[in-house]
Amino acid sequence: MEYFFFIVRRLLWSVLVLIGLSVVIFLIARVVPGDPARIALGPLATAEQVTNLRHKMGLDRPLYVQYGRYVSGLVRGDFGQSLLTQRSVASDLRSAFPATLELVLVTIVLAMALGIPTGVLAARFKDSWVDNVSRVLSLFGVVTPSFFIALLLQLLVGYFLHVLPVNGRLSPGASFTPDITGLVLIDALLRGQPAVWLDGLRHLILPAVSLAAASLGQIARITRSSMIDVSRKDYVEAARAFGIPDIVTTFKYMLKPSFIPTLTILGLEFASLLGNAFLVEMVFGWPGMAAYGVRAILHKDFNAIMGVVMVTGAFFVLVNLLIDVLLGTFDPRIRIRGARS
Amino acid sequence: MKRILVVFLALGAVALSAVALAATTVTLNVVQIFGTIDPAKVTDYTGYMSAVNLYDGLVTVDKNGAIQPLLASSWEASSDATTYTFHLRPNATFHDGTPVTASDVVYSVKRLLAIDQGPSYLFKGVLGPDSVTAPDPHTVVFHLQKVFSPFLATVPLIFVVNSKVVQANEKAGDWGQAYVADHDVGSGPYMLENWTRGSRMQLKRFDNYVMGWGKGPIDNLRFVVTNDEATVRSLAASGELTMTSEFQANETYAALAKMDRFRVVSQPTGTAFYLKLNTRVAPTDDVHIRRAIACATDYGTILKSIYPGDPLAGPLPSVFKNDYLDTLKNPTFDLACAKDEVGKSAYAGKGAIPLTFSYVAGTSFEEEIGLLMKSNLEKVGFKVTLDPEPWNRITEIASKASTTPNVTEVFFGATYASPDSMFFTQYDSKAAGTWSSMEWLNDPAVDKMIADARATTDPAKQAEIYKQLQQKLVDLQPDVFLLVQNVRHAMDKCLTGYNYVPVQSFDYNFHNYSWTCSN
Repeated sequence: MEYFFFIVRRLLWSVLVLIGLSVVIFLIARVVPGDPARIALGPLATAEQVTNLRHKMGLDRPLYVQYGRYVSGLVRGDFGQSLLTQRSVASDLRSAFPATLELVLVTIVLAMALGIPTGVLAARFKDSWVDNVSRVLSLFGVVTPSFFIALLLQLLVGYFLHVLPVNGRLSPGASFTPDITGLVLIDALLRGQPAVWLDGLRHLILPAVSLAAASLGQIARITRSSMIDVSRKDYVEAARAFGIPDIVTTFKYMLKPSFIPTLTILGLEFASLLGNAFLVEMVFGWPGMAAYGVRAILHKDFNAIMGVVMVTGAFFVLVNLLIDVLLGTFDPRIRIRGARS
Repeated sequence: MKRILVVFLALGAVALSAVALAATTVTLNVVQIFGTIDPAKVTDYTGYMSAVNLYDGLVTVDKNGAIQPLLASSWEASSDATTYTFHLRPNATFHDGTPVTASDVVYSVKRLLAIDQGPSYLFKGVLGPDSVTAPDPHTVVFHLQKVFSPFLATVPLIFVVNSKVVQANEKAGDWGQAYVADHDVGSGPYMLENWTRGSRMQLKRFDNYVMGWGKGPIDNLRFVVTNDEATVRSLAASGELTMTSEFQANETYAALAKMDRFRVVSQPTGTAFYLKLNTRVAPTDDVHIRRAIACATDYGTILKSIYPGDPLAGPLPSVFKNDYLDTLKNPTFDLACAKDEVGKSAYAGKGAIPLTFSYVAGTSFEEEIGLLMKSNLEKVGFKVTLDPEPWNRITEIASKASTTPNVTEVFFGATYASPDSMFFTQYDSKAAGTWSSMEWLNDPAVDKMIADARATTDPAKQAEIYKQLQQKLVDLQPDVFLLVQNVRHAMDKCLTGYNYVPVQSFDYNFHNYSWTCSN
């Protein structure tokens, strides 16, 4: 029961965080240079047209009135109208968010699938060539900007080898619309279209690899150091003394507790990738929310800017809440501490 | 009997697959997303690229800027040029098969004026909601509120929508904006097939297009959104790209030119590149200072090494052949002339003359021009402060004379096929306060000439006024006339038909293109 109240308390804090975020981003979006009405109407619109649109958008009202109107829309799920696409921001986000979510999900799966075994191997063969190779590759992934890796892959795989597509979510001419979940891989399976599924996967590989490199490096390094720490614990020594096979000791007794710091990092990575994917999305023509957000900033499309930030913020908060719950599942001590605090 | 049927079916299948194989597809990269496809709301270059393919106007524009028939087969103007009557083709249909009638045109104009966005600014004080009538299903009459001689040049920007479909989808008096934002309700040469916002748009050929189809039509049209040079090269190398945007880096054009499949097409445009000089603030309020800046501009280096283009002698590019003053001489770089003009100015002998010089931040060629200008101007007594600003910021500071820099690098091209588009928007005092009029000229004589040209229906007289106006503007030197922009595309050697059109992006109407190779 105490743990339930802990979760409720976290939820209430999350709401406060989102309210704070909405105030900050509302003010920032208003001070970005440029008149949004002028930008929406085009450079040659008359002053009268600009004034009319400013009035229609409520931009001639005091800031607190504008904020009040924005928040009242927000609670109804109405983010307002995009100046760039001339339709509701909610509709834009409904089509752009799943694209980014799919990219980030595949990225995280890829980073975990490669990062955790790499970390485990590096810890198991500490200071050997395996560890050294893993260290170099991880550092390369962490220090190299994802857009640079994206450009390298573009040139190598797209320009010279022509083995994987370099633009969009599906091949040109594909008439498939992911209208069930918005995720191509899931919707193609649900509709029983394996060719579309394969096409979607092929389009995902390069952007996901570009984005995953940094996360993969971090996960590998953190898993390695946690595994090394855990390997010195008494219960691990005891397990070894009892003659339990090495593979069982590693995966059953060492990996689970070692996974806690990795899981924490994963939560942060997952949410931050939603916002940070924009350069990779731009390079690969990925119609996602991060690229949508960048275009919104460039066009001072303030409703769209706030919509993207609020959705990313809400996701960030939600994922961290889930991670807290998961950490409690992995380590009961965290659950008990959380309930008592 | 069964065998014969099987053979027929097999032959049919082969024939169908041959047809499918023969379909030509053109893929073109665009550097901006398609904001909206609603023709009453499009304002930018990319938006018009979709509009000209999905929608038709009563008339259109050819490569010489001449008005050509489209949905209207003919038209006439009243002797006082306040009434224009258009006769519609009887066989034009929208993409859903509904005939295009005069009532659709009336509705489209009313809708454009009511929404009050996109090209509606062109018709302020010229057309009202009841200015357009339909005396019969194939005749449309425009009653102008005043004489506006460039009117015919603005008509191509009125795109006709299917009024029945739009009206059926109106919500709370929104003129169907929500529906038209996502759906194609036009009669243009192409139909919207698929649109992934922010990524790509696919159009397919409208078989029953009123203007018919010639040899080698383009069946499928794909716009891929990317401004990344590596992506463009990769798409070209993998065979996915047929034509690049006009905004690629020199290296990309060079790389594609080396591929057997591509050729680079370059044509002069109606877009000019100016250094706009603020005539309301010191020291550029002095004509001698403005002339000194013009003399200190190294045109040769800019044209050859920084931004290739054609020389620009005055405010109007030569693409407006009938109205162009061809006696103007190309300006030359002459530091002695610059020193001489500084000496004649009211600011001579008072130490280094401060000058603010602005350009779009992050644009390398504009920065290079800024640095070159600073170097030359400081040799003749100026103290130049370079102010790179984001484009949004430039549009904001351009709204007041006091915040507009002394010098700003700006591109400007006609939005409708008339010199009026170049003169009114940049130099008329009524148009002041935008980035296109950072000169703040406010000259009654210039205003009068622009108004006289607008009120004149005689093309010869109008051309004479425009020529005098060009000379007047060269004398006043509100700008340094840097160059005429060239448009460049790398395109598949099999694709022909590209011709620059001096209105928005009307040169990307793919009805005018053809595929010359057999697939």
